[in-house]
Amino acid sequence: MISRKNLINLISVILSVLMTVLIVFFFLLILGKDPFEIFGTILSEVFADGYGIGQTLFKATPLIFISCGLAICFHASLFNIGAEGQLNAGSFVIALIALKLDFLPAYAVIIISLFCGFLVSGFFGLIPAYIKIKKDVSEVITTIMMNFVILALVNYFLLDFFAVQSTMRTEKINEDLMFLKISDLVPFFQGSTLNSSFILAVLAAVITYVFIYKTGFGYKLRSVGFNELASKYLGVRTNGVILISFFIGAGITAFAGMNYIFGYKGFYEFGFSNNIGFTAIAVTLLAKNNPIGIIFSSLLFAILDYGGLSVNQLIPKELMLVVQGIIILSLLAVDKLVSNYFSGKFI
Amino acid sequence: MDLLSSVISLGFVAQVLRLMTPFYLGASAANFSERGGVINISVEGFMNLSAFSFAVISILTGNVFTGFILAVLVNLIFSIMFGYFTVSLKINQIVTGVGFNLFIAGLTKFLLVYIFSSSSNTPRFEGLPELSLFKNVPFFGLFLTDYITIFCFLLIFISVYILFKTKFGLRLRSAGENPAAGESLGIKIRHYRYYGIFICGFLSAVAGIWMASNQNSYSDGMIAGRGYIALAAMIIGKWKPVNIFFACLLFSAFEAFEISLQISGSDIPSQLIQMLPYFITILVLIGFIGKTKPPAADGVPY
Repeated sequence: MISRKNLINLISVILSVLMTVLIVFFFLLILGKDPFEIFGTILSEVFADGYGIGQTLFKATPLIFISCGLAICFHASLFNIGAEGQLNAGSFVIALIALKLDFLPAYAVIIISLFCGFLVSGFFGLIPAYIKIKKDVSEVITTIMMNFVILALVNYFLLDFFAVQSTMRTEKINEDLMFLKISDLVPFFQGSTLNSSFILAVLAAVITYVFIYKTGFGYKLRSVGFNELASKYLGVRTNGVILISFFIGAGITAFAGMNYIFGYKGFYEFGFSNNIGFTAIAVTLLAKNNPIGIIFSSLLFAILDYGGLSVNQLIPKELMLVVQGIIILSLLAVDKLVSNYFSGKFI
Repeated sequence: MDLLSSVISLGFVAQVLRLMTPFYLGASAANFSERGGVINISVEGFMNLSAFSFAVISILTGNVFTGFILAVLVNLIFSIMFGYFTVSLKINQIVTGVGFNLFIAGLTKFLLVYIFSSSSNTPRFEGLPELSLFKNVPFFGLFLTDYITIFCFLLIFISVYILFKTKFGLRLRSAGENPAAGESLGIKIRHYRYYGIFICGFLSAVAGIWMASNQNSYSDGMIAGRGYIALAAMIIGKWKPVNIFFACLLFSAFEAFEISLQISGSDIPSQLIQMLPYFITILVLIGFIGKTKPPAADGVPY
């Protein structure tokens, strides 16, 4: 059954979402907009038909992957905010390998390219981990710096060597590498871009859950996150745990590109990620680092994202970025107040 | 050859000293907060916020001084919020900082589109007035061109004085080094942590205002990681005002070098030049410094 800790978590998540709605409601009133019209448009656009639902699931897919990666890092108390860079490096490599290896059978190309993408993203995660271990410099600063460095490198290699003339994208991969569109199987989704990546993403969330909560390494990971010094005394090689969790955590972010490359466009395009690496931080925090929770919080953010497009006529879609920020801040505050309340320290 | 001669000129040195302004202001901002025991990752966001509010208010009211004062005020209001989260509620400071950064980035992007219907920048406006006092002084006239830059140089001495020569500085540092001992001597640790955050909010406001004033507009993403580089400078400078100054010089030298490279039209790809400051920051973090020692209670809620 649901434990007391999980129940408290659930209460604080629900309260903070409600709080966000309330704040956004008043924010819209101050701006002289009709909050009911805006909220209503978002919901009706998303849930009107199978296409809206399909698009929302499609937008949730990369968020699930990235957030699972972040959850691994966050469990080890490693605040990786370099997902934006890491996922772009990996996605770029996925597209390149899929292009170069087109003589192999399709399944082999897909597996090899995804694996290489994982390695490259993971490699870029190792750098801040190494600096943290050796120099005790917070990974927050180094991962941010790495974002700038990686994006510049990707941009350079893309434009100078691989891009289609006067675009920011690679060439298109072979048609037979493209993932199955779910709308081909289930007509309900009416031609939305939802593809089998979504199923893989849910699978990844389940695997990450098992990895974090049911394996020996996951236990070490959480113990390092909980108390690094104590874990060290108990014989956990904490430096190794930090390196491995950063490697795996950053590596998974590469799969965000799978949805876009194999499932949607067939090429890597610079800027495709559109700061999704930062959105994933909010998603992960809202899910309290729980991979199963991540599936649901990704869906919530996907609704905001897709719904934001539909209200762009009424209010700039950047509103959703404000909503994201408010969600994080109200979650942090509400979480603390709720846990104080349950431990009898309510102010 | 062009590049070399431009780099060793006096003009280049002056450029380095001028470009140092936002770095040093940001690094000092973070330093005051961390000396009080609060890690403030959101210096980046605070600089962004003040650059934005300064530009918007200056444009809407047509008066840069109103813009200056209100931008500082906005930052102080956000500092109260930041303090409430980190000091009163004792929430993890790094997570709070990242949360504020994302919130501010979203808010400025949204308001930019909402007010000016542009997703990239505000219209141009006349920045803060220039200072003509040193105009005819050789060399110094090249970089002491505005009040904020002069304030920035004075700040080196001001911070040393405040942190190490005053009662306030001693108490602030006790909040960052050993809050329990400070508390036992009757110091209101939480108040001092708030003061550190306020100073941080004020200084990062000035840094952001300098950026917007200098560019005569606000553009989305104009802070471009300078707040984080300032944090790196603070770490490399080991939380000491004078050392931080030299660390900032290092980073502004690379920025000035980047500008010279672009002007000289060398064939080094522009993306690689742009990533230089961040790349160098990482290299410096990996190589140049030994383990650095932050204030003992830095980041520990009290």
